[in-house]
Amino acid sequence: MAAVRALLVLAGLLLVAAVAAPLGLADNGGFTPVDPASPNAEGIRDSYLFVSIFILLVFVLVEALLLAFIVRFRRRKRDRFEDGAQIHGATKLELMWTVGPVIILVLIASFVFIELPGIANIPSAEARGRLEVKVTGRQFYWQFEYPNGVVAIDRMRAPAGVPVRLEVVSTDEDVIHSWWIPALGGKIDAIPGTVNETWFEVEEPGVYEGQCAELCGVQHAAMTTAVEVMPEDEFDAWLEERRAEQSEGTSELGQELWEGVCAKCHGLAGEGGIGRRLAGSPLLADPQALENIVRNGRVTRAGRMPPVGAGWTSEQMEALTGYLRENPPSGS
Amino acid sequence: MAARTEAVPAWQRGRVASWLVTTDHKRIGILYVGTSLLFFVLAGLMAVAMRLQLAQADADVLGPDRYNELVTIHGTAMVFLAVVPIMAGFGNFLVPLMLGARDVAFPRLNALSYWLFALGGVVLMLSFFADGGAAKAGWTSYPPLSTDSTDAAGTGQDLWILSIHILTASSLAGAINFIVTIHNLRTRGMTWTRMPLFVWSIYIFAWLLMAVLPTLSAGLTLLLLDRGVSIGPWEVETSFFSSGDGGAPVLYQHAFWFFGHPEVYIMVLPAFGIVSEVLPVFARKPIFGYKAVAFSTVAIGFFSMLVWAHHMFTVGMPNSLNAFFMIASMVIAVPTGVKIFNWLATLWRGNISFDSPMLFVLGFLSIFTIGGLSGIYLAAFPIDWQVHDTYFVVAHFHYVIMGGALFAAFGGLYYWWPKMFGRMLGETLGKWHFWLMFIGFNVTFFPQHLLGLDGMPRRIYTYSNEGWEGYNLTSTIGSWVMGIGILLFFVNVVRTTRSGKRVGNDPWQADTLEWYTTSPPPPHNFDEVPYVTSARPLYDLRRRLREQRSARGAY
Repeated sequence: MAAVRALLVLAGLLLVAAVAAPLGLADNGGFTPVDPASPNAEGIRDSYLFVSIFILLVFVLVEALLLAFIVRFRRRKRDRFEDGAQIHGATKLELMWTVGPVIILVLIASFVFIELPGIANIPSAEARGRLEVKVTGRQFYWQFEYPNGVVAIDRMRAPAGVPVRLEVVSTDEDVIHSWWIPALGGKIDAIPGTVNETWFEVEEPGVYEGQCAELCGVQHAAMTTAVEVMPEDEFDAWLEERRAEQSEGTSELGQELWEGVCAKCHGLAGEGGIGRRLAGSPLLADPQALENIVRNGRVTRAGRMPPVGAGWTSEQMEALTGYLRENPPSGS
Repeated sequence: MAARTEAVPAWQRGRVASWLVTTDHKRIGILYVGTSLLFFVLAGLMAVAMRLQLAQADADVLGPDRYNELVTIHGTAMVFLAVVPIMAGFGNFLVPLMLGARDVAFPRLNALSYWLFALGGVVLMLSFFADGGAAKAGWTSYPPLSTDSTDAAGTGQDLWILSIHILTASSLAGAINFIVTIHNLRTRGMTWTRMPLFVWSIYIFAWLLMAVLPTLSAGLTLLLLDRGVSIGPWEVETSFFSSGDGGAPVLYQHAFWFFGHPEVYIMVLPAFGIVSEVLPVFARKPIFGYKAVAFSTVAIGFFSMLVWAHHMFTVGMPNSLNAFFMIASMVIAVPTGVKIFNWLATLWRGNISFDSPMLFVLGFLSIFTIGGLSGIYLAAFPIDWQVHDTYFVVAHFHYVIMGGALFAAFGGLYYWWPKMFGRMLGETLGKWHFWLMFIGFNVTFFPQHLLGLDGMPRRIYTYSNEGWEGYNLTSTIGSWVMGIGILLFFVNVVRTTRSGKRVGNDPWQADTLEWYTTSPPPPHNFDEVPYVTSARPLYDLRRRLREQRSARGAY
């Protein structure tokens, strides 16, 4: 039985090593969710920590009892088929381990309900300058629309210190996606035909990354996104400038559309990939044909492209066609 | 009764043919177990391929389409073709033997359920060769992705639906058979509270299948109609789940998870049953609190049908509804906890031997505890908003299903192998198998909790975040260790078949009726069955024999 003990110790050491080694390699990979940057994410993290107390307690209790019993009641020199103590049960003990978990679960649920308003309740519209952004999940990009009509792809800009309410949707032609920036709170699905909402409020300017969390097709993995939180005055200036540029057709929207919508399948230089090679395609010089395929997609034997641009405004469409006219993909 | 004299036709007596036409529950049980192990290996190889793809950031081992196919078929196959049928296999082999019966109530129906299962499995595996490849929308196959004209074009998704329909028919036939058998064919003296706990678990397993599979069938039929079917001149394309025409994508999720959550218990309850059989035998004790363990099985079965929407906390349900499903999910933790503590108490003051079956069952206890506990985080819906659809969930359900159901299933194989084939699986290889699988399992899946907490979503074919590489590589290495362990099991099987130690009726000195007959049992199972006066008929028998012997010795 010394062998059993040695194996147990070995297994334990291997487990510790296996877990500890990559700990050093990961940035912030640990036993808690990503460091929160918004009150709702904080509420979730606090709930997680509270639950962890009991989880660890029960974990240590059960595994320690298991190990202790294995060691203490192992056969040793007894006959293999000698009876152990013929105990059929103990009602009092069994009641204890029925009621104990009930108490723990009541505590956990109560804590969750106490934290819930701080996580789920969106600061009211009267709250200081609440910003509204419409977030649309599409195959395979995120589109952000601001109240003044500014459109951005994959990278949302937001002001620091201001609550931001997100309306999260998908379109009827599209599939389900899930909006998630770990540092800014939990995820919420973008479902065709449904309007969901979530929010964040970040004090520290910075870039917070995330990605789509619901399998949405071939390029699900490429649906990364980021929220760039800037000081409020900088943000206001950006929004104004972008509005003006977008009207003039000089904004970065065209490039964002190319990189966020087209390039994920066709390659940054139009060299092809999941989608066909675009460099040198006559389609690029024909805005009408280009618009047609971007809006309607195409299902043929040769390939299948989703209607990535269904529902775009003409301003948005022109941003893309204009960008491609100026910057035809080089192919390498 | 007039003896049946019709002879078995010659063509049915061949070594292969006799298995093809068999209606013997033991042979059907073995066919079930063997076939599910085959699918387990196939689905396991898919997992190894996916782990290879994820070992490094921006790797290019599998393309995204192939990866999504593997994600889908690995999950579907493990659930429908490996874990559920291996449990059905144990049930088939053991339930009549444990009840002291000659066979199941409907032997031909039983053969039909096996062959439907095999057919469903073949359809699913061959769908890789379909036009457009296998289904790519995940084992949950949510619309609109699974009805999408670009991602779900081709026939793979239709074949997936067809396969699940066939497997559902198989499971329903099997479930009816189990229920009727357990109600009617218990031997003299075997009241409900003297029934082996494994039979209890199969009984609830069967009722759950009956209760929830029809909902899945309904959901999948609507999905099929949404995808469009043409029968002769009629073309039907509905829009139950497409929002553009007034349908609701989330409706499908309700239909799916109303089945999908009880399915977890359909896989895990029989595992609980195996644990409740093996632990007492190797601790030389009765199960601690028989009635509590049996009743908690019933309670888990019942509550498992009230928790489905905890898989849907991120679809934007009202928080009052989220709260209901949180509390219902937490309620399930109570009977599950009862089981764990009762099992622990079964070890207390025992005389514990560590043969392979026991090692797997103890491994089950330590791993399943982790899977159960991580489930508490997921039940608390605000925490779920953070970890839902990440590797945390992947880790959680592998701890429950692989660490729970499959460890118990391997324990069951080592335990009942001598009864099935009359030979004992090798003990040394068995121990190697256990330790490699136990260590490999934890190295593979524990780091995935941390990946999920760090923001890695599930079902992505690649990632660029180098911070995730360490854990992913660790996980991939773990999958090889686990794979070698499982390979050793098959080496063990081959060696045992050639030269395994032959055993008598009852090599483990166990308590239940299957050990009363020969190993392997004759076609009719028993020449006679003792009158059952407790849940441990063989223990009683041995005690009476001892008493008689010592009484004789006194004269």
